[in-house]
Amino acid sequence: MYNKRCVATILVALVLSVVLAEADDPKHEATANKIPKGSKVFIAPMPDGFDTYIKDAIKKKKVPVEIAASRDQADYEMTGTSETQKAGTAKKLIMGNWHSREEASVTVSNIKSGEVVWAYSVHQEASTHGKRSSAEACAKHMKDEIEK
Amino acid sequence: MQSKIRVVVPLLLATLIVSFSCSSLLALAQTSSENKPNQDQSKSDPAPSSDLKPTASDEGQLATVNNAKIPAYAKVYVAPMSGGFENYLIAGLRNKKVPLTVVVDRAKAEYEISGVSESDKAGWAKMLFMGSQQSNELASIKVSDLRTGAIVFGYSVHKGNSVRGKQSAGEACAKHIKQIVVD
Repeated sequence: MYNKRCVATILVALVLSVVLAEADDPKHEATANKIPKGSKVFIAPMPDGFDTYIKDAIKKKKVPVEIAASRDQADYEMTGTSETQKAGTAKKLIMGNWHSREEASVTVSNIKSGEVVWAYSVHQEASTHGKRSSAEACAKHMKDEIEK
Repeated sequence: MQSKIRVVVPLLLATLIVSFSCSSLLALAQTSSENKPNQDQSKSDPAPSSDLKPTASDEGQLATVNNAKIPAYAKVYVAPMSGGFENYLIAGLRNKKVPLTVVVDRAKAEYEISGVSESDKAGWAKMLFMGSQQSNELASIKVSDLRTGAIVFGYSVHKGNSVRGKQSAGEACAKHIKQIVVD
Protein backbone atom coordinates (compact mmCIF):
# COMPACT_ATOMS: atom_id res chain seq x y z
CA MET A 1 0.00 0.00 0.00
CA TYR A 2 2.78 2.35 1.06
CA ASN A 3 4.86 1.42 -2.01
CA LYS A 4 1.92 2.19 -4.31
CA ARG A 5 1.60 5.66 -2.79
CA CYS A 6 5.31 6.30 -3.26
CA VAL A 7 5.15 5.28 -6.92
CA ALA A 8 2.08 7.48 -7.46
CA THR A 9 3.76 10.54 -5.93
CA ILE A 10 6.89 9.98 -8.04
CA LEU A 11 4.76 9.68 -11.17
CA VAL A 12 2.88 12.89 -10.32
CA ALA A 13 6.19 14.72 -9.75
CA LEU A 14 7.54 13.51 -13.09
CA VAL A 15 4.37 14.53 -14.96
CA LEU A 16 4.53 17.97 -13.34
CA SER A 17 8.15 18.46 -14.36
CA VAL A 18 7.36 17.42 -17.96
CA VAL A 19 4.41 19.85 -18.07
CA LEU A 20 6.60 22.67 -16.73
CA ALA A 21 9.31 21.93 -19.29
CA GLU A 22 6.69 21.98 -22.09
CA ALA A 23 5.46 25.38 -20.91
CA ASP A 24 9.01 26.77 -21.18
CA ASP A 25 9.42 25.48 -24.73
CA PRO A 26 9.68 28.47 -27.13
CA LYS A 27 8.06 26.49 -29.96
CA HIS A 28 4.98 26.05 -27.81
CA GLU A 29 4.93 29.79 -27.06
CA ALA A 30 5.27 30.71 -30.72
CA THR A 31 2.30 28.62 -31.79
CA ALA A 32 0.17 29.99 -28.93
CA ASN A 33 0.51 33.55 -30.26
CA LYS A 34 -2.88 34.22 -31.84
CA ILE A 35 -5.37 37.05 -31.63
CA PRO A 36 -8.44 35.76 -29.78
CA LYS A 37 -11.93 36.90 -30.84
CA GLY A 38 -13.19 39.97 -29.00
CA SER A 39 -9.73 41.23 -28.00
CA LYS A 40 -9.21 44.95 -27.56
CA VAL A 41 -6.95 46.45 -30.20
CA PHE A 42 -5.45 49.92 -30.08
CA ILE A 43 -4.68 51.37 -33.49
CA ALA A 44 -1.67 53.65 -33.23
CA PRO A 45 -1.50 56.80 -35.36
CA MET A 46 -0.07 56.08 -38.81
CA PRO A 47 1.26 58.38 -41.53
CA ASP A 48 -1.36 60.09 -43.74
CA GLY A 49 -4.16 59.11 -41.32
CA PHE A 50 -4.10 55.48 -42.44
CA ASP A 51 -5.28 54.49 -38.93
CA THR A 52 -8.73 56.01 -39.61
CA TYR A 53 -9.06 53.94 -42.80
CA ILE A 54 -8.06 50.84 -40.81
CA LYS A 55 -10.72 51.57 -38.16
CA ASP A 56 -13.39 51.95 -40.86
CA ALA A 57 -12.25 48.79 -42.61
CA ILE A 58 -12.32 46.77 -39.36
CA LYS A 59 -15.95 47.79 -38.90
CA LYS A 60 -16.86 47.23 -42.54
CA LYS A 61 -15.27 43.79 -42.75
CA LYS A 62 -16.75 42.83 -39.37
CA VAL A 63 -13.43 41.83 -37.84
CA PRO A 64 -14.24 40.26 -34.44
CA VAL A 65 -12.18 42.69 -32.35
CA GLU A 66 -12.97 45.75 -30.25
CA ILE A 67 -11.20 49.01 -31.05
CA ALA A 68 -9.76 50.55 -27.88
CA ALA A 69 -9.57 54.32 -27.53
CA SER A 70 -6.34 54.26 -25.55
CA ARG A 71 -3.32 51.99 -25.40
CA ASP A 72 -3.82 51.32 -21.65
CA GLN A 73 -7.21 49.70 -22.24
CA ALA A 74 -5.98 47.45 -25.06
CA ASP A 75 -4.57 43.93 -25.25
CA TYR A 76 -3.01 44.40 -28.66
CA GLU A 77 -1.53 47.32 -30.58
CA MET A 78 -1.58 47.82 -34.31
CA THR A 79 1.21 49.91 -35.83
CA GLY A 80 1.99 50.45 -39.45
CA THR A 81 2.88 52.60 -42.36
CA SER A 82 1.29 53.52 -45.66
CA GLU A 83 2.30 55.33 -48.78
CA THR A 84 0.21 56.70 -51.62
CA GLN A 85 1.39 57.92 -54.97
CA LYS A 86 -1.22 59.61 -57.09
CA ALA A 87 -1.09 58.96 -60.83
CA GLY A 88 1.03 61.60 -62.53
CA THR A 89 0.58 63.03 -66.02
CA ALA A 90 2.98 60.46 -67.46
CA LYS A 91 1.05 57.54 -65.94
CA LYS A 92 -2.23 58.97 -67.19
CA LEU A 93 -1.00 59.70 -70.73
CA ILE A 94 1.41 56.84 -71.33
CA MET A 95 -0.09 54.04 -69.26
CA GLY A 96 -3.71 55.24 -69.50
CA ASN A 97 -4.13 54.69 -65.76
CA TRP A 98 -5.74 57.17 -63.34
CA HIS A 99 -5.54 55.05 -60.25
CA SER A 100 -3.11 55.63 -57.42
CA ARG A 101 -0.30 53.35 -56.29
CA GLU A 102 -0.82 52.13 -52.73
CA GLU A 103 1.53 50.48 -50.30
CA ALA A 104 0.78 49.64 -46.69
CA SER A 105 2.11 47.39 -43.98
CA VAL A 106 0.67 46.72 -40.52
CA THR A 107 1.93 44.86 -37.47
CA VAL A 108 -0.12 43.68 -34.48
CA SER A 109 1.77 43.12 -31.23
CA ASN A 110 0.75 41.83 -27.83
CA ILE A 111 1.12 44.76 -25.41
CA LYS A 112 1.84 42.54 -22.37
CA SER A 113 4.41 40.18 -23.90
CA GLY A 114 5.72 42.64 -26.50
CA GLU A 115 5.64 39.92 -29.18
CA VAL A 116 4.45 40.53 -32.72
CA VAL A 117 1.51 38.20 -33.34
CA TRP A 118 0.47 39.17 -36.84
CA ALA A 119 1.79 41.26 -39.71
CA TYR A 120 0.64 41.95 -43.23
CA SER A 121 1.74 44.09 -46.15
CA VAL A 122 -0.21 45.08 -49.24
CA HIS A 123 0.81 46.62 -52.55
CA GLN A 124 -1.60 47.80 -55.20
CA GLU A 125 -0.18 49.25 -58.40
CA ALA A 126 -3.54 50.69 -59.50
CA SER A 127 -5.82 50.99 -56.49
CA THR A 128 -9.44 51.78 -57.38
CA HIS A 129 -10.35 53.19 -53.98
CA GLY A 130 -6.92 54.35 -52.83
CA LYS A 131 -6.14 53.93 -49.12
CA ARG A 132 -9.59 52.44 -48.50
CA SER A 133 -8.71 49.40 -50.64
CA SER A 134 -5.41 48.73 -48.87
CA ALA A 135 -6.98 49.20 -45.42
CA GLU A 136 -9.77 46.76 -46.31
CA ALA A 137 -7.20 44.25 -47.55
CA CYS A 138 -5.42 44.47 -44.19
CA ALA A 139 -8.70 44.09 -42.27
CA LYS A 140 -9.82 41.14 -44.40
CA HIS A 141 -6.57 39.25 -43.78
CA MET A 142 -6.71 40.08 -40.08
CA LYS A 143 -10.22 38.61 -39.92
CA ASP A 144 -9.01 35.46 -41.71
CA GLU A 145 -6.19 35.10 -39.18
CA ILE A 146 -8.53 35.50 -36.18
CA GLU A 147 -11.11 33.08 -37.55
CA LYS A 148 -8.49 30.49 -38.57
CA MET B 1 2.30 8.91 9.76
CA GLN B 2 5.31 11.08 10.52
CA SER B 3 7.69 8.32 9.47
CA LYS B 4 5.88 8.06 6.12
CA ILE B 5 6.23 11.80 5.55
CA ARG B 6 9.93 11.55 6.40
CA VAL B 7 10.35 8.97 3.62
CA VAL B 8 8.09 10.56 0.98
CA VAL B 9 9.42 14.13 1.18
CA PRO B 10 13.09 13.23 0.47
CA LEU B 11 11.92 10.91 -2.31
CA LEU B 12 9.94 13.70 -3.94
CA LEU B 13 12.80 16.14 -3.61
CA ALA B 14 15.20 13.62 -5.12
CA THR B 15 12.96 13.01 -8.16
CA LEU B 16 12.50 16.74 -8.73
CA ILE B 17 16.27 17.36 -8.54
CA VAL B 18 16.95 14.48 -10.94
CA SER B 19 14.33 15.71 -13.46
CA PHE B 20 15.62 19.31 -13.35
CA SER B 21 19.24 18.24 -13.72
CA CYS B 22 18.28 16.04 -16.70
CA SER B 23 16.49 18.93 -18.42
CA SER B 24 19.41 21.33 -17.82
CA LEU B 25 21.88 18.73 -19.16
CA LEU B 26 19.74 18.32 -22.27
CA ALA B 27 19.65 22.09 -22.79
CA LEU B 28 23.44 22.28 -22.39
CA ALA B 29 23.90 19.49 -24.93
CA GLN B 30 21.64 21.31 -27.41
CA THR B 31 23.51 24.63 -27.12
CA SER B 32 26.90 22.95 -27.47
CA SER B 33 25.75 21.12 -30.60
CA GLU B 34 24.44 24.42 -32.04
CA ASN B 35 27.75 26.18 -31.41
CA LYS B 36 29.92 23.33 -32.70
CA PRO B 37 29.72 24.18 -36.42
CA ASN B 38 30.83 27.75 -35.71
CA GLN B 39 33.86 26.58 -33.77
CA ASP B 40 34.77 24.03 -36.42
CA GLN B 41 34.44 26.65 -39.13
CA SER B 42 36.72 29.08 -37.33
CA LYS B 43 39.31 26.34 -36.88
CA SER B 44 39.26 25.22 -40.48
CA ASP B 45 39.30 28.75 -41.94
CA PRO B 46 42.64 30.37 -41.30
CA ALA B 47 42.02 33.41 -43.54
CA PRO B 48 39.59 36.01 -42.10
CA SER B 49 38.64 37.22 -45.59
CA SER B 50 37.01 33.82 -46.32
CA ASP B 51 34.44 34.41 -43.54
CA LEU B 52 32.17 36.30 -45.89
CA LYS B 53 30.31 33.90 -48.15
CA PRO B 54 28.14 35.28 -50.92
CA THR B 55 25.22 33.19 -52.15
CA ALA B 56 24.26 32.40 -55.69
CA SER B 57 21.51 35.01 -55.88
CA ASP B 58 21.02 37.31 -58.83
CA GLU B 59 19.03 39.87 -56.86
CA GLY B 60 20.86 40.30 -53.61
CA GLN B 61 24.13 39.75 -51.84
CA LEU B 62 24.30 37.75 -48.67
CA ALA B 63 27.06 37.39 -46.16
CA THR B 64 27.23 35.24 -43.06
CA VAL B 65 30.10 35.56 -40.64
CA ASN B 66 31.71 32.25 -39.63
CA ASN B 67 28.59 30.42 -40.85
CA ALA B 68 26.77 31.83 -37.84
CA LYS B 69 23.26 30.58 -37.25
CA ILE B 70 20.28 31.94 -35.36
CA PRO B 71 18.41 29.39 -33.22
CA ALA B 72 14.74 28.90 -34.09
CA TYR B 73 12.26 30.98 -32.10
CA ALA B 74 14.97 33.39 -30.98
CA LYS B 75 13.61 36.79 -29.98
CA VAL B 76 14.35 39.38 -32.64
CA TYR B 77 13.84 43.13 -32.49
CA VAL B 78 13.37 44.94 -35.80
CA ALA B 79 14.67 48.48 -35.48
CA PRO B 80 12.81 51.35 -37.18
CA MET B 81 13.98 51.93 -40.74
CA SER B 82 13.43 54.66 -43.30
CA GLY B 83 9.99 54.62 -44.94
CA GLY B 84 8.61 52.17 -42.34
CA PHE B 85 10.48 49.30 -43.98
CA GLU B 86 10.52 47.44 -40.61
CA ASN B 87 6.79 46.74 -41.03
CA TYR B 88 7.34 45.22 -44.48
CA LEU B 89 10.20 43.13 -43.12
CA ILE B 90 8.08 41.80 -40.21
CA ALA B 91 5.28 41.01 -42.68
CA GLY B 92 7.87 39.27 -44.88
CA LEU B 93 9.12 37.19 -41.93
CA ARG B 94 5.55 36.08 -41.28
CA ASN B 95 4.75 35.46 -44.94
CA LYS B 96 7.89 33.38 -45.47
CA LYS B 97 7.22 31.51 -42.21
CA VAL B 98 10.60 32.32 -40.70
CA PRO B 99 10.69 30.61 -37.28
CA LEU B 100 11.61 33.70 -35.25
CA THR B 101 9.76 35.56 -32.50
CA VAL B 102 9.58 39.27 -33.28
CA VAL B 103 9.40 41.52 -30.22
CA VAL B 104 8.73 45.26 -30.05
CA ASP B 105 10.94 45.82 -27.01
CA ARG B 106 14.69 45.83 -27.70
CA ALA B 107 15.46 44.91 -24.08
CA LYS B 108 13.62 41.57 -24.48
CA ALA B 109 15.42 40.61 -27.70
CA GLU B 110 18.45 38.45 -28.36
CA TYR B 111 19.04 39.69 -31.92
CA GLU B 112 18.44 42.98 -33.69
CA ILE B 113 17.67 43.58 -37.34
CA SER B 114 18.55 47.04 -38.59
CA GLY B 115 18.95 48.47 -42.04
CA VAL B 116 18.07 51.01 -44.70
CA SER B 117 15.71 51.06 -47.63
CA GLU B 118 15.09 53.31 -50.60
CA SER B 119 12.33 53.48 -53.15
CA ASP B 120 12.47 55.21 -56.53
CA LYS B 121 9.15 55.56 -58.31
CA ALA B 122 9.05 55.12 -62.08
CA GLY B 123 9.43 58.45 -63.86
CA TRP B 124 7.96 59.50 -67.21
CA ALA B 125 11.11 58.38 -69.09
CA LYS B 126 10.92 54.86 -67.62
CA MET B 127 7.24 54.67 -68.51
CA LEU B 128 7.79 55.99 -72.04
CA PHE B 129 10.96 54.10 -73.03
CA MET B 130 10.74 50.98 -70.88
CA GLY B 131 6.95 50.73 -70.68
CA SER B 132 7.29 49.96 -66.96
CA GLN B 133 5.57 51.73 -64.08
CA GLN B 134 7.23 49.58 -61.41
CA SER B 135 9.48 51.07 -58.77
CA ASN B 136 13.17 50.61 -58.14
CA GLU B 137 13.75 49.16 -54.66
CA LEU B 138 16.93 49.08 -52.63
CA ALA B 139 17.27 47.62 -49.17
CA SER B 140 20.05 46.43 -46.96
CA ILE B 141 19.77 44.77 -43.57
CA LYS B 142 22.08 43.37 -40.92
CA VAL B 143 21.38 41.03 -38.02
CA SER B 144 23.41 41.54 -34.87
CA ASP B 145 23.69 39.50 -31.69
CA LEU B 146 22.75 41.87 -28.86
CA ARG B 147 24.74 39.97 -26.23
CA THR B 148 28.06 39.86 -28.08
CA GLY B 149 27.50 42.80 -30.42
CA ALA B 150 28.68 40.70 -33.37
CA ILE B 151 27.01 41.03 -36.74
CA VAL B 152 25.95 37.52 -37.71
CA PHE B 153 24.27 38.18 -41.04
CA GLY B 154 24.01 40.80 -43.73
CA TYR B 155 21.94 41.02 -46.89
CA SER B 156 21.25 43.61 -49.53
CA VAL B 157 18.64 43.52 -52.25
CA HIS B 158 18.14 45.59 -55.40
CA LYS B 159 15.12 45.23 -57.62
CA GLY B 160 15.05 47.37 -60.74
CA ASN B 161 11.41 46.60 -61.46
CA SER B 162 9.79 45.59 -58.23
CA VAL B 163 6.31 44.22 -58.90
CA ARG B 164 5.22 44.61 -55.27
CA GLY B 165 7.46 47.51 -54.21
CA LYS B 166 8.72 47.42 -50.62
CA GLN B 167 6.78 44.20 -49.99
CA SER B 168 9.02 42.34 -52.48
CA ALA B 169 12.19 43.72 -50.89
CA GLY B 170 10.96 42.83 -47.38
CA GLU B 171 10.11 39.30 -48.45
CA ALA B 172 13.49 38.85 -50.17
CA CYS B 173 15.26 39.85 -46.95
CA ALA B 174 13.04 37.50 -44.90
CA LYS B 175 13.65 34.60 -47.28
CA HIS B 176 17.41 34.94 -46.87
CA ILE B 177 17.18 35.35 -43.07
CA LYS B 178 15.37 32.00 -43.04
CA GLN B 179 18.51 30.38 -44.49
CA ILE B 180 20.48 31.05 -41.32
CA VAL B 181 17.77 30.05 -38.84
CA VAL B 182 18.29 26.54 -37.50
CA ASP B 183 15.47 24.42 -36.11
